Amino acid sequence: MKTLTSDAVPAVTAAVAIDNLSFNYGRLRVIDGLSLEVGAGTSFGLLGPNGSGKTTLIRLMVGLLKPAGGTIHCLGRPPSPARARNMGYMPQLPALYQELSVEQNIEFFARIYGMKDKRQRSQRVEEVIRLVDLWSRRKTSVLKLSGGMKQRVSLGCAIVHRPPLLFLDEPTVGLDPELRAHFWRHFENLTAAGTTLIISSHTMDDAAHCRQLVFMRQGKIIAKGSPAELQAATGDGCASLEDAFLYFIRKGKVPTGDD
Amino acid sequence: MTTSTFTIAGRIIRQLVRDRRTIALLVLVPLVIASLVGVSIPDRNMLDYIFPAILAVLILFFGFLLTGISFLRERSQGTLERLLASPVSKFDIVGGYLLGFLLFALLQTLIIFFYMVYVLDITYRGELWQILVFQVLIGAGAVCLGTFFSVFARNEFQMMQFIPLVIVPQIFLCGLLWPVDQMPEYLQWAARFLPLTYGVDGIRALMLEGQNLADIGMEVGVLGAFAVVLLVLASLTLRRSSSG
Repeated sequence: MKTLTSDAVPAVTAAVAIDNLSFNYGRLRVIDGLSLEVGAGTSFGLLGPNGSGKTTLIRLMVGLLKPAGGTIHCLGRPPSPARARNMGYMPQLPALYQELSVEQNIEFFARIYGMKDKRQRSQRVEEVIRLVDLWSRRKTSVLKLSGGMKQRVSLGCAIVHRPPLLFLDEPTVGLDPELRAHFWRHFENLTAAGTTLIISSHTMDDAAHCRQLVFMRQGKIIAKGSPAELQAATGDGCASLEDAFLYFIRKGKVPTGDD
Repeated sequence: MTTSTFTIAGRIIRQLVRDRRTIALLVLVPLVIASLVGVSIPDRNMLDYIFPAILAVLILFFGFLLTGISFLRERSQGTLERLLASPVSKFDIVGGYLLGFLLFALLQTLIIFFYMVYVLDITYRGELWQILVFQVLIGAGAVCLGTFFSVFARNEFQMMQFIPLVIVPQIFLCGLLWPVDQMPEYLQWAARFLPLTYGVDGIRALMLEGQNLADIGMEVGVLGAFAVVLLVLASLTLRRSSSG
């Protein structure tokens, strides 16, 4: 396991540590006594159906929401704007400036995340645009791009400052299989370089790519482990991850809506 | 004010510049309004009296509308949330908006001003730079007002409803159509709490009486205080998300 070495980041083995976290939207408890630890340099999947609390958990981790109870530590400290420089965030919606070009969007986020040196910044922006395979469209307004292209620009904006900790909220939604494979190749390169990825998804295809997974339901973790461990836990040698998810629901740790 | 403030201001300017239709409307609409006023009032003295106030009204109206809608879009598109998850502060965000839109307010004032003077033949006294500085002050209040009220709107329709609520009463009570001191006492009292009243008084003093900014210290002070209070309010109420 790689230890983060950036000057601003304390050397910690857990990129994220969450203890007894809870959060409510009004009277609705969305996160319910959740604890987890994410090792540095891994790809960590938050899997669960819509409404299971994945997006809320990510928004709590990046500091957009304040917990009702419990603690969160990202790279050893509670999330705050001052610490945000070491984190990247790709929201569920592309969240881009529609009138601006691909290049202008990525450049803007490079500046916002403190890349002051003009030469280094423009080199990095070019590198990222090539990485997300949009070099030929770099001058095009985001407004004129397809959904998949917007997702790629959004990823570019999240990684341009080389954050050691990256939060990706359903990054592969709406992508065709080829593009999804392209994204995952890139995610694997990032973790190989020491970046910690926290990825939310509701597709088992994404889950299979993660090194560690948690299954979420109704704001709680119902199972955690590697994809192989979770499949093996079902006792069925041929079980898919989907079978494993259903197995843990049926196991009754959290009652389903059908019960 | 930090580097991020200028980065955000630069982004706002780039966004507007790339949106050519909006730019065209921003230039043409005030000219159409100015022309309408110019041809509909035959009395030259009356025109000279009304036009400085029109300048102040237009800057308040467009500053409020543009910032309100832009901030709303920033919220609905998720870019505000993305910014709030970044290292920038809320003051950087509101300050960036202020700087970016003030540049447009300044350009818009210049265009309307030269159109009034050279095409509509309006006479004025005072110095142009002082008129511009004062307009920027009104614009600053308008931008902060728009940012602040956008917090209470969930969509563009709701934001538009704030125009008759926030802007129109100020237009009626600022002395544009009728001198404030001839209004019923309770309306005079209400007018004292509205920034446009000070904007119109100040710009008339500069353009009609040829006074200096130093002579209208009270108006400058009130508008400045108004902008600062709204800047703080807008920053503090900058919600991190619509649902959080």
